[in-house]
This record gives sequence, C-alpha cells and structure tokens, in this order.
Amino acid sequence: MLHRPTSHSAAIGPGPVPSLANPGPALEQQPRHAPQAPSCGSEAFCVDPQALSSSHPRQHTQYPYVTGTSVLGITFKDGVLLACDTLGAYGSTKRYKSFDRLRKVNDVCMVGASGELSDFQYIMRLLEELSDDDFCMDDGHHLKPAEVHSYLTRVLYNRRNKMDPLWNSLVVGGFHSGKPFLGTVGMIGTSYTDAHLATGFGNHLARPLMREKHHPDMSEEEAVALMHECLKVCYYRDKNSINKFQLAKVTKDGVSISEPFALETNWGFKLFQNPAANAVGTW
Amino acid sequence: MAQAGGFSFDLCKRNEFLEARGMKGPGFTKTGTTIAGVIFKDGVVLGADTRSTAGTTVADKNCEKIHYIAPNIYCCGAGTAADTENVTGMVASQLELHRYATGTQSRVITAMTLLKSHLFRYQGHVSAALVLGGVDFRGPHLFTVYPHGSTDSLPFCTMGSGSLNAMAVFEAGYKDDMSKEEAMELVARAIRSGVMNDLGSGSNVDLCIISKEGVEYKRNHEYLQGKTYERQFPQRFAAGSVPVVRERVYDIRKAVTVVEGEPMEMES
Amino acid sequence: MATALPVRAQVPAAGQATKQHASWSPYDDNGGTVVAVAGDDYCIVAASTRMSTGYSILTRNKSKILRLNPKCVVASAGMQADMETLHKMLHSRHVTYQFNHRRPMSCPATAQLLSNTLYYKRFFPYYTFNLCAGLDDEGRGAVYTYDAIGSYERVGYGCQGSGKELIQPVLDNQLKAASPLVLPQQQWLSSLPLEQAVDLVKGAFVSAGERDIYTGDDVEILIITKDGIRTDSLQLKRD
Repeated sequence: MLHRPTSHSAAIGPGPVPSLANPGPALEQQPRHAPQAPSCGSEAFCVDPQALSSSHPRQHTQYPYVTGTSVLGITFKDGVLLACDTLGAYGSTKRYKSFDRLRKVNDVCMVGASGELSDFQYIMRLLEELSDDDFCMDDGHHLKPAEVHSYLTRVLYNRRNKMDPLWNSLVVGGFHSGKPFLGTVGMIGTSYTDAHLATGFGNHLARPLMREKHHPDMSEEEAVALMHECLKVCYYRDKNSINKFQLAKVTKDGVSISEPFALETNWGFKLFQNPAANAVGTW
Repeated sequence: MAQAGGFSFDLCKRNEFLEARGMKGPGFTKTGTTIAGVIFKDGVVLGADTRSTAGTTVADKNCEKIHYIAPNIYCCGAGTAADTENVTGMVASQLELHRYATGTQSRVITAMTLLKSHLFRYQGHVSAALVLGGVDFRGPHLFTVYPHGSTDSLPFCTMGSGSLNAMAVFEAGYKDDMSKEEAMELVARAIRSGVMNDLGSGSNVDLCIISKEGVEYKRNHEYLQGKTYERQFPQRFAAGSVPVVRERVYDIRKAVTVVEGEPMEMES
Repeated sequence: MATALPVRAQVPAAGQATKQHASWSPYDDNGGTVVAVAGDDYCIVAASTRMSTGYSILTRNKSKILRLNPKCVVASAGMQADMETLHKMLHSRHVTYQFNHRRPMSCPATAQLLSNTLYYKRFFPYYTFNLCAGLDDEGRGAVYTYDAIGSYERVGYGCQGSGKELIQPVLDNQLKAASPLVLPQQQWLSSLPLEQAVDLVKGAFVSAGERDIYTGDDVEILIITKDGIRTDSLQLKRD
C-alpha cells in the first residue's frame, strides 16, 4: 500500500504536497477514518482531522491569497472618480491581469476594492442581492451612496467581530442629490469620508499629491489629470501593480467604468542609465 | 586597562539576562524622519525635516538632520538619533585626518565606503539610514546608505518614515538637468510632503545645496507653521509670588576681567 | 527515521504561527484627544479631528463627538470603528428612550447607559476612551470619565485619548480641583468663567498638538449651556 501524505494538512495547506514536506510521525499516528478513505488505499481527501480537533482556530482565512493593490478616489465639481489597476496578485505573482476591481452598484454608486479579491466577489454578491431586492420592490427606490457605505462598514465590522475578517479595503464613490460622495471602509470596519481617498500603498504615495493639488471645485479634466499622475506614481513605486488601469466616474448621468488603459511612463532619466559613472570604485 | 576603539559590550550578557526576566531597557530618540536628496545640473540638494520623536511624543521640534561630513560633503540621517549623529561624526573625523595626511579634497565615495563598512560590521544594529550627497572633482554624487550597509547611487532618493510621501513628489516632479532653483523647490516640496503627511516628520524644512562653488546650508529654509492660538488669559504670576529667603550680591567685576578678542574662524 | 526531517511540516501551535503572512488584529488605534470641562452653568467638550493609523493621517476632519440632545454629548477617542459602533448604539438607544419616555435622556442616565454598554463588551471591549458630558438635572456642568470597559466616575473635568498625558496635568493644575479625598467634600466644578475655560481648553489643545503626533489638524469645540449647544473651532498645526 503506497503511503501518501494528506493533502489538506493545516501546516501545508491545500494542493499538492511538496516532496520534502512529510507531515512526520505526528500525523501518521492519527486514527484512519475508514469511511472517508478511497478504496485505492491512499489517504482520504479530507480536512486534516488534527487541524479540526486542535484547539486553535482555523487560520487560513486570516491572510489574503489573491490581492489587489491600492484604489484611489477623488471628488470633483460634478462627480467622483475612482481608479485602480486590474491586477489580481497571488503573493508577488501577477496572477490575474484583467480583474475588474471597480464595480457598479447602481446608477448612483460604485465600489472599488483592494485586498482579497474572493472576499470582494462575496461582497459584490451581497450588494447585488440588495440591488435585486430594490428592483423587485419596484418602487423606484435604490440605495444611496452613503447607505451603501454604511452597509459595507457594518458588514466588515461584523466580520471582524467574528474574528473572521473580510480582507478588504473598499472605496465607495457616488453622486446623489447634487453632491459627490466618497467614503472608504477598512477590514476592521474603520470608515470615513473625505474629498480624496486612497487605500493601502496609495495612502502613502497618492494621498500627498492629492492633498497638494486637490480642490473641491476641480473640473473633470483636472481631476483626470491628477488621477493619472497619482496612478503613475503608484505604479512606479508599488511592486504589486501593473500599468493597466481602469478609471470609473459617477456623475448625475450615472456610472461609467472605462476600458483598461496604460499610462505613458518614463524609465529613461539620464542619471538612471549609469548612476555610478562618476563614482568609479563604488561597490 | 588599555582602551581599545569601538563600542563597549561589557554589559550585553547581563542586560540580555535582565531583559529575559522582564526588565525593559531605556528607549531611544528616533528621528521618524523625512530626508531627501536630488542631483541637479551642477550639484546636489539635500533636504530634511526637523522633528525628532520619542515614541509618540515630539522630542525636539527643530533638530538638525543634515550633518557635516566634509567641506564638500553633507549627510542627512534617519533612524536612531544617536547613531546618525555619531556615525556621521566618526566619518567626518576620519576624513578630516585623511585630508591632513593627503592634502586633497575628500571624495564622496570615500565617505560612502567608510559609512557602509561601519554599518555592515554592526549588521544593522547601528540603525542609521542615510542620504549622502556631495560634489568632488568627478562631479555631484548622491547615495543612500541603509542601516545594514547596502548602498544605492541614484539621481533622487528619500529615506525615513516619510520616504514614500517624499518619493511620490520626486516621481511626479523629477526632471533631467534641473537648475539649482528648480532642484531646491523640488526637494523642499518633497520634505513638505513628508512633514504634512507623515506623523513621524514635522516642523520645518532644512536644505543644503552643494555645488562646485561651495555649500549653502539653509537651516530652516521654510518655516511652515507657527502656533495657531495665543492664550487670552495666560497664567501670570505676580512679582513676589516666590518669596525671597536670602539675598547675596557678588561683584563679578572683581573676579573677571573682560578682554576684547578675535572672533573664532567658523565654517561657512 | 523521519524525525530529523522537515521543520516546516510541523503544525505551528496557536500564537506562534510563523509570520510569513500579514498578521491581523481586530484592534487599531486611530489616535485623537477629547477634553471636557464642567462649570457652574456650562460644560465644554472638545475633540481633535485628526484620524490616523500608524504614522499616516487617514483624514483631517473626523468628528469624535456624538450629540445626543442639547444637554448631553458623548466624546470618544481610540479606535474609530468601535467608536462609530458605540455611537450608533447609543443613538438608537436614545431614540428608543424618547419614544418610551417622551423626553430626552438626562446626562446622568446617559452616563449609566454608556457604562452598561461598555461593560456588556467586557471580554471583547470597545477600544474607546469616552467622556460623557453635558448639564445635569440642576443645570450644572457634568463630566463623566470612563475606562474602556465601563468603570466610570463623575468629575469636574476630564481628558481622554492620545494627548491625555499632556493635557490632564495642565487641567489638574489650572482648574484647582479639590482632591476627592478631602472631607467634607469640596467643590469640584470649575469656578472659571466660561471664556477663560474655553481659553484654557484651546491652550491645552495647542500645546498637545505641538508635542503629540496624533493630535492635530482641527479641534471641534462644543459649549453646552441652558440655551443649547454652541460650536466653536480651533485650527491646529497640520504636520
């Protein structure tokens, strides 16, 4: 009988078992659960019973797998812009390069997500259920941006209370009753609204530029130019980002999300080419 | 006992033992910092904020983070204040002696090599993150030196807790062959970005411009904000609030004579 | 034998999991300072508006004060998500109270409610540091100060949050409160006229803004008198 190690050990995680990662004697002493074992005689494909019976809680939900990087948002005279790249990164692998991280909620509201993308898809399902309910009621009512923001705050806060967080930072952009709305929620339920926002790395890289240049009565052209500049700076300095962006806009005319586009970049400054040319003998 | 050079490690074992039993060592003043530098057409501009912090309180609201290395070389320091001050001081002194011995101008890579070999030897325990800039006979140089001893040579660089905020400004605004004024404005903007966005950085902007013509050390080049409120009902103590217990008057002119002197020669 | 083999195949015990992944904590400190001073016929409540995490500023303009009614407010520093939740909870309890009793909740009643609400989460506390402030039934200023799990006490003035260590001693010195140990009990309300007390609070915030990195941007000041709530504001340094 060929012994194969379980493929769902808590230590190794799901997937094929690396040849060196022998679970060792501790696992082999486990009682075999005959009903679950395949007839070929190999180990049952099931959750490691030790992991189930052990006293410490399940931990694989406590870190992200496929992640998106910063989402940026700014308000302008007659609406809100959100922008981010389209990468779903698996660790530092560029795994999914056309992932839509900006999504429409309804005609007055959209959401952008950074963090764990499966959690984001779950969150979008929640929002779609709400929108479907609104549609079925057929009373012309729909969720306002502030309501969506408040709802998401409660969802994320309640999950943190269960010690099972949704690993996301969300940005909600909207336009309602003549006013732009821009708010964000973190994975422990930290929420606020501001005239400009950025999640993750963007908070360090894009926010300073926004604080310098943003003013509430910007025209759309100015806002787009500022957004492009911020995206470019994030792309230059965030290794988990790619030069393929989407820009979404909410105005009184509704939500529009652009096709993916690339920004012109410059890596060819003179002094980048041989920076130590004047320092012969540099290590 | 003959005093060998270097640190004293006498009490390390004892402290390790005490810490294992729950003692907490003293905290250090960190310069949670924004420092930055840029190479322009004919020189280097270095910049720094002036806040130093101890934990979450501000220890010094107007400290100096651009340190002298040689007449043509200066160095911004981030990390533990004592480490940046001492490591730059040691290198400055070694270069001074080297200049006495050779009679030539110090080179920036010499300073960089001294810094990195010292830092590498201590494996990151000397926590100094530096931006080193200067002009020597080969032209302008700008280096970053990391606490573990690695170095970079770049046309623009930033360090410290505000480094990302400052770098955002550089990435947005850097150009080839800037004039001195453009470079000064860009560095000042980068430091401002750190001051306004990073809680570890604050107060004023110091600049240091080094070119073949010499050094302009612009201490408090920009004073960003003053106090925003003056007390209307300040606490005043009337004269006589503190009782005088005893009084004794000395005539200092009997013990001291005042002599006119030559003013001491100072660095620029 | 495989005993000497792979270390990495061992299941990490709880709490000593290797830190290969971003670790997660349900708590965060978003900084900020709140101060309240009670007078004979007024109460001042002030809170800085900076909201931060770690070394970065999230927003410069986030109110930390919940206005329940013209005679009672709650100000909280600490973790913003918990603060928001606590304020929502108190607000809804206050609405229900008004339906049942046809009047707003008094300040001492709100103070007890806040204590109960905090203690209810004794083993997964709200990471908030609160002041409940307003006018009591006799129209005198009232300040109640709390710890995170609901221990509370009525005081003449109070300070909570990141600038507490800087401001509290100044208030102790300037408001000259008698020790609660002195018998017979002495006046613990501020005897300062309103303008001087506001000046003191502003001065304290400016000083805290100079030295505490989490206190800055703006201060929202509420002045509660029998005529209602008046607002004032003060700009602080933004660095």
